[in-house]
Amino acid sequence: MSHIESEFRPIQRTPAPEVGVRHLPGRRTGHVSAQRSLAQGVYMLTIRDAPVARNARPGQFVNLYPNDRTAMLPRPFGIAGVHGDEFDLIYQRVGAGTRAFARLSAGDPIDLVGPLGRPYDLTAAGDYLLIGGGLGVPPLISAAQGLAGRGDVRAIALFGYRDARFADGLVGRFADRTLSVSACEGNVITLLDRIEPELEVEATTILSCGPIPMMRAVAAWAGRRSIRSQFSLEERMGCGYGACLACVVDTTDGRLRVCKDGPVFAGGRLEWETAR
Amino acid sequence: MNAQTFDPFEPYDYRHGSVVAGLRWKNPVGTASGTFKLDACGEYYDVSQLGAISTKGVSPVPWEGNPTPRTAESPSGMVNAVGLQNPGVDHYLLDELPKLKALDALVVTNVAGHSDEDYAQVVAKLAQSEADMLEINVSCPNVTHGGMSVGTDPIALERLVRRLRGMTDKPMIVKLTPNVTDIAETARAAADGGADALSLINTLVGMRLDTRTGRPIIANVTGGVSGPAILPIALACVWKVRRALPDMPIIGIGGISSGRDALEFLYAGANAVEVGAAALVDPQAPVRVAHELEELLDRRPRLADALEKGQAWQQ
Repeated sequence: MSHIESEFRPIQRTPAPEVGVRHLPGRRTGHVSAQRSLAQGVYMLTIRDAPVARNARPGQFVNLYPNDRTAMLPRPFGIAGVHGDEFDLIYQRVGAGTRAFARLSAGDPIDLVGPLGRPYDLTAAGDYLLIGGGLGVPPLISAAQGLAGRGDVRAIALFGYRDARFADGLVGRFADRTLSVSACEGNVITLLDRIEPELEVEATTILSCGPIPMMRAVAAWAGRRSIRSQFSLEERMGCGYGACLACVVDTTDGRLRVCKDGPVFAGGRLEWETAR
Repeated sequence: MNAQTFDPFEPYDYRHGSVVAGLRWKNPVGTASGTFKLDACGEYYDVSQLGAISTKGVSPVPWEGNPTPRTAESPSGMVNAVGLQNPGVDHYLLDELPKLKALDALVVTNVAGHSDEDYAQVVAKLAQSEADMLEINVSCPNVTHGGMSVGTDPIALERLVRRLRGMTDKPMIVKLTPNVTDIAETARAAADGGADALSLINTLVGMRLDTRTGRPIIANVTGGVSGPAILPIALACVWKVRRALPDMPIIGIGGISSGRDALEFLYAGANAVEVGAAALVDPQAPVRVAHELEELLDRRPRLADALEKGQAWQQ
């Protein structure tokens, strides 16, 4: 942390191939490559940082640190895609931190740590349903990118929006099909019911990220049909890398860290009754 | 190698150590309790690079901690109410402590309890362990019994420390809360009970509210404030306790995020320091502070010499 005094610049390391302990790069300064508006108050930020772009797996996130040094805590954002030495984030301008991010433009420095967290497990073959709600869609765009080009899978994006369908085009570059719905038309369960006749239960994997009520409904829908599912959770975080235990969720294995043990959890492990 | 280019995994021979309660820390910088978890922090630096690792609070049985949200931001700081979530002393002895010792860390085990009996149970088990030092947490603001309720009452504090003192020969640190009228009074109580060292300060009670809902952000309502915002408060506490207890080893804690911050604590009378909130926003901060302080001590031989002799800076 450099806000009081620091001549220090952390050196960047690539992960060392040592058994047991990973060597991760610490906090560093990336640079904004581009920023564009996707919808009213919704932005896509592209940042140049090789360790994230080269190592991130779908479902992982990065911590961004506001350049205002009095706002210490990281803002965690799901990675929405990688290309070359750059990665994309999508966020909504909601508070002081994201208002400051919205003012960033090409060339500006931005401190970050990552990639962080447990990614989606994309080892299964078959159909993947990428079920996203609102600002929960970024990791699913990454998942679509991760699945693209594989001969043994089909990726179907089912996105629900409050109004503007800001991510259909982004996921559509990678997904085999994209279905979306805005709040006045219905929700992602409407979409699931519509495509259910084409699905084979044992060859289907649900990946989901979005508001808790949506994910709870998706979990129930998947549970009734015995479809395997993975959910990416959001929780108010402290450190975002597993040290502080601020962000926890109740699971069948006890109270786990969303940032380190997640953010992706298998649907069957989550205690949806107590999830907020 | 210097503070600009240090490799947090490269073995490094520190030139300036500090003797705290008879034990030599290879440098005067440790982690502050609650901000270190091995499987997370160990991915960012070699834990043996630090003077000491102070663990999360260890309780006699597993504790679930508080409901979420557990944290909120504050100007140059943060508020947390984790509530000492931990898997209990038996798990700690089987799993975490052996791993820390295998990595060659000097381990300060932080001891938590809801009652005198709780603290005694944990200390009894740790007395036979490989833990290098014990740190009695009588200052956590986020649990309803024990924690700060003991640490704000000099009579209860002295009684507890005396009882624990009789159970172990390991160096025993008592971690003090700043949420008192006169921290020198609780410091004296801990000393009279037999503490070998004091660590200060724990967090200050604080809260944030959500202006859209009018409700507290943290589920526990209040939490503990940490970060650079509390640095001057912590310095004043260290200064005051140093005046009251000239020979007591003191570990200074509160908002340290650079070597120069750490140096300020040493001049205020601390024998060593611990880095807390800074590590939550820069995973390598504790090692960076250690390297920055190393260079600052190169130019301050009198201070460095005092620390090596187990003495604090004399104003």
